[in-house]
Amino acid sequence: MSNAVILDPADRSPAGTQARGVVQAWHRLRRQPSTLFAVVVVAVLVVVAVAAPLLAPYAPEATDFDAPLSGPTADHPLGTADLGQDLLSQLIYGARTALVVAGGSVLVAMLIGVPIGLVLGYKGGWYDRIGSRGLDIADALPGLMVGFVVIAILGRGMAVLVLAIGLVFCMNFARMTRAITLTERKKLYVESAHVSGLRERQIVFGQVLPNLAGPLAVQAAVFLGSAIKVEAALSFLGLGLGDDQPSWGGMLGLAAEHQADRPLMAVAPGVAILLTVLAFNLLGDGINDALSGRRTTGRRRSAVLGRLRPPTPPTLAEVRTARSAGPAPEAEPQPAPAGSGATPDDDVEVPADTVLDVRDATIVADRPDGSTVTLVHGVSLRVRRGEILGLLGESGSGKSMLAKAVLGLLPPGVRLAEGSVRLNGTELAGCSERELRAVRGTGLGVVLQNPQANLSPVHTVGRQLVDVLRAHHPLSKRDARARAAELLDLVGVNDVQRRLDQYPYQFSGGMAQRVAIAIALAGEPDLLILDEATSALDVTTQSQVLDLVLDLRDRLGMAIVNITHDLGVAAETCDRVAVLYRGELVEVADVVDLFDRPQQAYTAALLAAHPTADHDVEVIA
Amino acid sequence: MNDSQPLLDVRDLHVDYDVAGAAGWRRRTLTVVKGVSFTIAPGETYGLVGESGSGKSTTGRAILRLADVSGGQVLVDGQDVATLGRRTPLAYRRAVQAVYQDPTASLNPRHRVGRALTETLARHGLGDRDARRRRAAEAFEQVGLTTDHLTRYPSQLSGGQLQRVAVARALVLEPRLVVCDEAVSALDLSTQAQILALLSDLQAASGVSYLFITHDLGVVRHVAHRVGVLRGGELVEQGATRQVLDHPQHEYTRALLAASPSSHPDGRDERRAERAARRAAAAQATTAQEAA
Amino acid sequence: MGKLVAYRLLFAVPQLLVISILVFSLTYLVPGSPAAAMLGTSATPEAIAHVEAQLGLDRPPLERFVEWFGALLTGDLGTSFRAGMPVTDLLAQRLPATLSVVAGGIVVALVLGVGAGVFTGTRPGTLADRLVTGGTVLGLAIPEFWLGLLLTTVFAVQLGWVPIVAWTPLTADPLAWMRGLVLPSLALGVTGGAIIARQTRAAMVTSMSAPYADTLTAAGVPRRTQIARYGVKNALVPVLASTGVTFAILIGVSFVVEKVFALPGLGSLMLTSVIGQDFPVVQGVVLVTATLVIVVNLVIDICYGLINPQARPQ
Repeated sequence: MSNAVILDPADRSPAGTQARGVVQAWHRLRRQPSTLFAVVVVAVLVVVAVAAPLLAPYAPEATDFDAPLSGPTADHPLGTADLGQDLLSQLIYGARTALVVAGGSVLVAMLIGVPIGLVLGYKGGWYDRIGSRGLDIADALPGLMVGFVVIAILGRGMAVLVLAIGLVFCMNFARMTRAITLTERKKLYVESAHVSGLRERQIVFGQVLPNLAGPLAVQAAVFLGSAIKVEAALSFLGLGLGDDQPSWGGMLGLAAEHQADRPLMAVAPGVAILLTVLAFNLLGDGINDALSGRRTTGRRRSAVLGRLRPPTPPTLAEVRTARSAGPAPEAEPQPAPAGSGATPDDDVEVPADTVLDVRDATIVADRPDGSTVTLVHGVSLRVRRGEILGLLGESGSGKSMLAKAVLGLLPPGVRLAEGSVRLNGTELAGCSERELRAVRGTGLGVVLQNPQANLSPVHTVGRQLVDVLRAHHPLSKRDARARAAELLDLVGVNDVQRRLDQYPYQFSGGMAQRVAIAIALAGEPDLLILDEATSALDVTTQSQVLDLVLDLRDRLGMAIVNITHDLGVAAETCDRVAVLYRGELVEVADVVDLFDRPQQAYTAALLAAHPTADHDVEVIA
Repeated sequence: MNDSQPLLDVRDLHVDYDVAGAAGWRRRTLTVVKGVSFTIAPGETYGLVGESGSGKSTTGRAILRLADVSGGQVLVDGQDVATLGRRTPLAYRRAVQAVYQDPTASLNPRHRVGRALTETLARHGLGDRDARRRRAAEAFEQVGLTTDHLTRYPSQLSGGQLQRVAVARALVLEPRLVVCDEAVSALDLSTQAQILALLSDLQAASGVSYLFITHDLGVVRHVAHRVGVLRGGELVEQGATRQVLDHPQHEYTRALLAASPSSHPDGRDERRAERAARRAAAAQATTAQEAA
Repeated sequence: MGKLVAYRLLFAVPQLLVISILVFSLTYLVPGSPAAAMLGTSATPEAIAHVEAQLGLDRPPLERFVEWFGALLTGDLGTSFRAGMPVTDLLAQRLPATLSVVAGGIVVALVLGVGAGVFTGTRPGTLADRLVTGGTVLGLAIPEFWLGLLLTTVFAVQLGWVPIVAWTPLTADPLAWMRGLVLPSLALGVTGGAIIARQTRAAMVTSMSAPYADTLTAAGVPRRTQIARYGVKNALVPVLASTGVTFAILIGVSFVVEKVFALPGLGSLMLTSVIGQDFPVVQGVVLVTATLVIVVNLVIDICYGLINPQARPQ
C-alpha cells in the first residue's frame, strides 16, 4: 500500500450506541430512578387490573342499601357510592377500565395514524401538500371535542369510547410519523442507497421503519397517559361507559356531586389517575432518554472555573507569582509524539509587549464515571502586540478548547486543570464570571466559525452591535448607533445605515463574518482570537476576510491568535505558528522557519500532505 | 468499444431547481446549471472546481440521475441518459457510482458497514452469499481496511476509515465512472492525502474515471488530469490541469487562484498587494459604472 | 406585515370551509334518524316522516348543504331540536363564560409556563431546575377537573375564600367576575403551564448555548441582557407554537371543567346536546370552537412573523 503515513488516527471504539440498541437501552432504563418508579407503577397497575376479581372485596356494582354514601368504614375502607357500592372495589376495577380503554385507543390511533404519516412522508409531492393541510385542519379541533362529537354520533359504550379517544390522538401519530419519514428520506445514506441501485421500497422499509420504532414507543407511552386523562374526563361527564362499568372518572363525577358532604371521595380516584398518568409520562421520558443516550444533567459554567487547582510544582508557581522576567529554569520539555524535544515558549524571556501568556495549560474533561480525559496537556504560548500567532492543528488537537479556556467559555464538564493564562499580566484562570466579564470585550475578542450562527437571527445587526458597545461604555442610543456604524465601516460593510437595520440572514457568509469581527472589535480588545473564522467561507471570500484582518492588525495593532487547520491560511497570515497534535504542542516557530525547516516529523508530514494550487506535491497524471 | 469515444460526454447541460414560495404554493424556477459541456475519457480524472452556488454539485447529481435534466445531453458511452425517464436502469447504477463528502452520513448508522457492500452486490445479482462476502472482503482490503472492519458499525470507525468504506462500496461494483462530490473536504489533512492516494492507486489498477467535484484548487491540482472552472452555473474555463492553474485565461480563474492560500509564506506581501490593487480596480470600475 | 396577514387569512378560509363540510356531514354519519330519537321508540313511521319533513331532513344532501352554508354565512346556524331556539342565540349566551375561562387559563399558563421555563432553562442541571421540572411533570399528569374539584372543595366549600358559584357575567360585576375566575383559571392553567414550561425550558437551553450566545458573552454582554433579550427572544419561536396548541387543548378541557365550577359555557351546552343528539347545536359548537382556534393561531402566526424575520413572505 502506498499509504505509509504515520498519522492515521487509531480506531475509535466507543460502545456503538445505536447498534446494540435494545440491550443498551434496557440497561440505561434501569439506571434512572424515575423510570424505575414508572415501570413499577405500571406493573402494579397491570397486576391489579388483571387480578381485579381476586383483589376486590366486592363486585363493583354490588349494592349495599344499608350503607349508602358512607365514609370509610371497616367494611368499606374507601366508603361507598350512592347505592352502597364499595368504592375500593370500584377503584380496583377502574384500573382495568383505564388500561383497556387506554391501550385500545392508542392502538387504534397508531393503526390509523402511522400508515397515513408513512404515505404522506414517503410519497411527498401533492399527497403530502394536501395531507399536511389536512393535518393542520384537524389541529383546529380540540381533542376532547372530537371525542364528544364521536360519542354524539355513535352513542355510548366501550367500543365507541375506544374509537373516540383513538381518533383524538391519531393525527398526532400521523404528524410524527410523517416528520420522521420526511427526515429519513432526505438523509444522505438513503440517497447513497439509491445511487447503489437499491429499490425505493427496500430503502424505506430497511431504513425508515427502524428509526420510527423508538419515537413511536415514546409517543405511545405518553399517549397512554393522555388517553387515561381523556377517558376520565369523558366518564366524569357521564359520556363514558355505562353506569354499571366502574371508572375512575365516573367515581370523580359522583364525588363532584357530593363535594359538600363527602369531600374526601375525590381523593382516591384522583390520586389513582394522577399516579397512572405520571407513570406513563415518566416511562415515555425514560424510553426517550434511553434511546438517545443523553445525559440530562449539565453543570453551571462558572462553577467550572472555580475548580482550578493550583499549578504544580511549587517552584514554578513561585517563579510565576514573582512575575519575574527571567527564564523559567524548570521548564519541562513538552514531549512531542516523535520523541525529540519541541521548543516551548517557556524558556525565553517574557517580552514587555506580551499580550497573552499561556503557561503549561492543561485542560481536562470530566466523564460521568468520574475519570477524566485530557484534552490539552502542558501547552505554553505567547503572543505579542501586533503579532499574529497561528494555532495549527487537525481535529482533536485541542486548539479550540485552548481558545475557549482563554475566553472562559469552556463547556460544562471541561476545565482548566493546571496552568496559567495571563492577559496583559492579569491572571485569568480561576477568575469569577464578573472578573472575566471585565476582561471580555476590552481585553479579548473572538470570532467563531459559522458565520450565520454567530449572530442572533431574530435581532438586527445594529441591535447586537449597540448592545455590545453599551456593555463597555455608557453611551446614549444615538451615540452607540453612530459608533456601530463606524465599526461596520471599519470592517468594510457598505451602505452602513441600511445594513444596521438588517437581520443576519440578509448577509452573505463573508459579510456576516465581517459583522462578527466588528462585534469582536467593539470593545477595542488587545487580543483577537479567530477560531476557524474563515473555514466555512468560499476561497475568494476567505481571502477578503483574511486581508481585512491583516489590515485591521496594521491599523489597530492588536495581537491575534488565528486558529486553523489550513496550512495555506497559516502561510498567508501568520507571523509565528504553533503546531498542536492531540492536545500537545509539537512545534512553535517563525512562519518561514516552520515551512522551510520543520523540526518535527509531524510538521513535516503535514507540509508534505498539503496540496496547493501553485506547486506539485506528488505527480498523479 | 470505440477507444476515442469519451466515457462521459456532457453537452450543453441545463438543470433547473424549484424554489418553494412563502405559502408553499408559489414556486420560482432557478437555472442552476446553464449550458455546461465537458468530456471525460476512460481512466481520466476530471476536476470540476467552483465555489458555493456554482452548480458543481448539481452537475454531479444530474449525472447521477438524482436531479432532473432540463436541457442538453448526458452521453455515457454514446447513450443519452438524460432522456431515460423516471426509472434508472440497473446497469447505469452499476456503471456510475458516487462518493460523498460526509463519511458518517452516507452510511446507515444501524447497519454494519459490510452490509452496505453485500446489499449492493445482492441487488445487482452478483454472486451468491459467499461470493458476495468474499468480494466485500476483497474490496475492503483493496482500500486498506481489514475483514475485521466488515462487522463494525459506523460509530466505531473514524472519518478516514468510513470514507474508505464509501470508496469500497462505490468500487465493489467495478463502475466505469465515480462521481466524487467533495469526497475529501471533510477529512483531516493527513487522512485526505491517504484517500487521494488510494483513489489514484485504484484508478491505475482498474481504469475507472473520476469526476472530482471540489472547491479546493490545491486538491484538484494534485488529483485531476483536466479541470473545469464553474461559476454561476457556467463553465468559464477548462483544460489540462497544469495549463489552467499555471496559465489561467479567464479573469475568474485568476481571481480564484489569487485568493487560494499558497504553500509557502514567501511572496505573500506581494500577493496581498496584488489583491488589494485588484479590489481597488474593481471598486473604481463599479463607481465609474454607477456614475455613467 | 400586511402580506403576512393576507397569506394567513387566505389559508384560513379553505380551512373553515373544509371544517364546515365535515361538520355538516356529521348528521349523515348517525345511524338512525334524529327525528326517531326525538319521538322515541313508539313513534309511527308517518310521524317520523312528518317530523323529518318539518326539519327538512328529506331533501337531497347537496341542496341541504348549500342552504345550510348560505344560512351560515348570514349568521343563521339553524334551530336547536330540543330547545327550539336559534342555535346562534344559544351560542351567544354561552360564549362569554367559555371565553373568560379559557382566557384566564391561558394567562395563568403563560405566566407559570414562561416563568418556570426561563428559570429552569437558564440553570439546567441544578437542584432548582430538577425541582421545578419535577413540578411540571406533575402538572402534566394531573387531571384538570380533579384539580378544579380539589381547589373548589378547599377554597370555596371549606374555606369560603371564593364564591361557590363561580360565574358572574363581566357586565354585571367585574370584580366578582374576576374572583370567580381565579379557581377555574388555575385549574386550566396548571396543565397548560406545564406544557409551555417544558417547551420554554428546551428552547432556552438551546438559545443560551448557541454560538451567538458565546459570541455575545465573549464580547462582554452581561448575562442579564443575554437572558432577557437574546435568550428569550430566540426561545419565543418554539414557545409560540406550543401556545397555539395549548389554546386548543384548553378549550376542550374547559368543556369538562365547567361541570366542576357550574359555568354556563359551551361545554355544558355541548354535553346536553351530545346526550340528546341535538345536531344543529353540536354543529354550531364545533364551528365556533374551530373558528376560535383558527383565529388564535392566526394571531400567533402573525406574532411569529413579527419575531422571526425569515418567516415573513418575501
